Amino acid sequence: MKNILTIARNTLKLEVRDRILIGILIFALGYLAITLFLADLVLKELPMVKSFGLTGIYFFNAITALFLGTTSFFKDVDRKVVYFILSKPVSRAQFLLGKFFGLCLVLLLTSAILAVAYLGVVAYEGGGFNAMGLLAIAMQFLEMALFLAFAIFVSTFSSSLLSIVYTSAIFFLGHVVSSLVADAQAVGITGFKLFLVKALYYIFPNLEKFDIRSMAIYSVPEPFASFALAAAYAAFYVILLLSLSVWIFDRKEI
Amino acid sequence: MVEFSNLTKAYRKRRVVDDFSLTVDVPIFGFLGQNGAGKTTIMKMIVGLLAPTAGTIAIDGLSSASPEAKKRIGYMPETPYFYERMTGMEFLQFCDELYPHTGKNRVDHYGSLLRKVGIFAARDAEIRTYSKGMRQRLGFAQALVNDPEYLFLDEPLDGLDPIGRREMKAVMTDLKHEKRRIFLNTHILADVEEICDAVGVIHQGKLLYAGGVKQFCAGMPLEERFMAVVEAHEKAEKHEKR
Repeated sequence: MKNILTIARNTLKLEVRDRILIGILIFALGYLAITLFLADLVLKELPMVKSFGLTGIYFFNAITALFLGTTSFFKDVDRKVVYFILSKPVSRAQFLLGKFFGLCLVLLLTSAILAVAYLGVVAYEGGGFNAMGLLAIAMQFLEMALFLAFAIFVSTFSSSLLSIVYTSAIFFLGHVVSSLVADAQAVGITGFKLFLVKALYYIFPNLEKFDIRSMAIYSVPEPFASFALAAAYAAFYVILLLSLSVWIFDRKEI
Repeated sequence: MVEFSNLTKAYRKRRVVDDFSLTVDVPIFGFLGQNGAGKTTIMKMIVGLLAPTAGTIAIDGLSSASPEAKKRIGYMPETPYFYERMTGMEFLQFCDELYPHTGKNRVDHYGSLLRKVGIFAARDAEIRTYSKGMRQRLGFAQALVNDPEYLFLDEPLDGLDPIGRREMKAVMTDLKHEKRRIFLNTHILADVEEICDAVGVIHQGKLLYAGGVKQFCAGMPLEERFMAVVEAHEKAEKHEKR
């Protein structure tokens, strides 16, 4: 456990010094600041301000997760920094989990910074404390943790560039998978083709489960059970993906 | 004592280390061989970075890849790569935290290690500003961070200027006097002659000779003797294939 924490802490320390990450964060904060001006000029109503803010945070967190997940672990292995770590009493599983939790900490930090900025903007525009907005950001964080786990999983067997392609594909699929079966049936797909569509539906994570932005925008209360269910769903996929990643990484020649 | 028993590493059908058996119990042992002879592969297997296809490596009876054995060893990879945005001091601390703590003042310990390898003045500079020689020295320092009984150094003198080489050789000699055991990979014969108590000559993954340096040379210059052994082996192999 100590080794996982050491590697996680070190990952956090290194990533927050990364200029690309700092650039993304500054850009995201700038975007939220612009919301203040747009609120008066274009957005007019509070729900529009919330929508603009939450979508922006989601977009920038997705970029951050994609960037971190596809580069951080891969770089350590590819550039052989891992030689220093794995020649010490550290298992490959500890290293991989340490990287994952470290990257989650980075995302947690960026989410927290953006959440504070968002809450500030909403409060300034007269929306008070937007608790549902905070919950929507927490749900987004769960989605990003799953996204990170997938990016690390892909990084265990492919290059950084391919990881970006695969991880972007899962991001897209994850958002259309929930309507895939219904859409297939609506256009008359049956038999083996429908079986394949259903297989896709069950294999790929349904990322729409984490999207409660509409509820947050219109302040519709979300039952705690659905948050707990989403957390359990994310945990299931994260554990599955990390277990597969450890299995592959344990067998990888470095 | 380090014991290699029938150690083999194969990639598909190609054997890069071939049935390698050896027992080493001298203060400084040098693996000698041309580029691609299998030296680095053996060292990576010792420290658990690669899994052998067959055979075992034991350090004082413990499997070398076990956590217990790893607590007792230090390893410096060939051409070390670092986290560029860390300082030398931070990197040593990170490496040290991967071992169970011993309780002594660690910051002083890191400082003394950096002094030992001659980069104390750059301790708070980011590693990306280090020269190749400084990186080599930092790689050496991190191998010492846990006060190891056994040191495995892969081409430790590569990239160092003549003064740096002399300093690092002096550090190795000091470590020898502290009763630590050092294994080093090198293709620089002069270094072997100067600091090693015994050598293992490796060629195409096979051990051709293991023993004292003087006995190996038998009155000939080391380079000449090394080439003679390698050429004789290649001749014998060609003859066998016919």
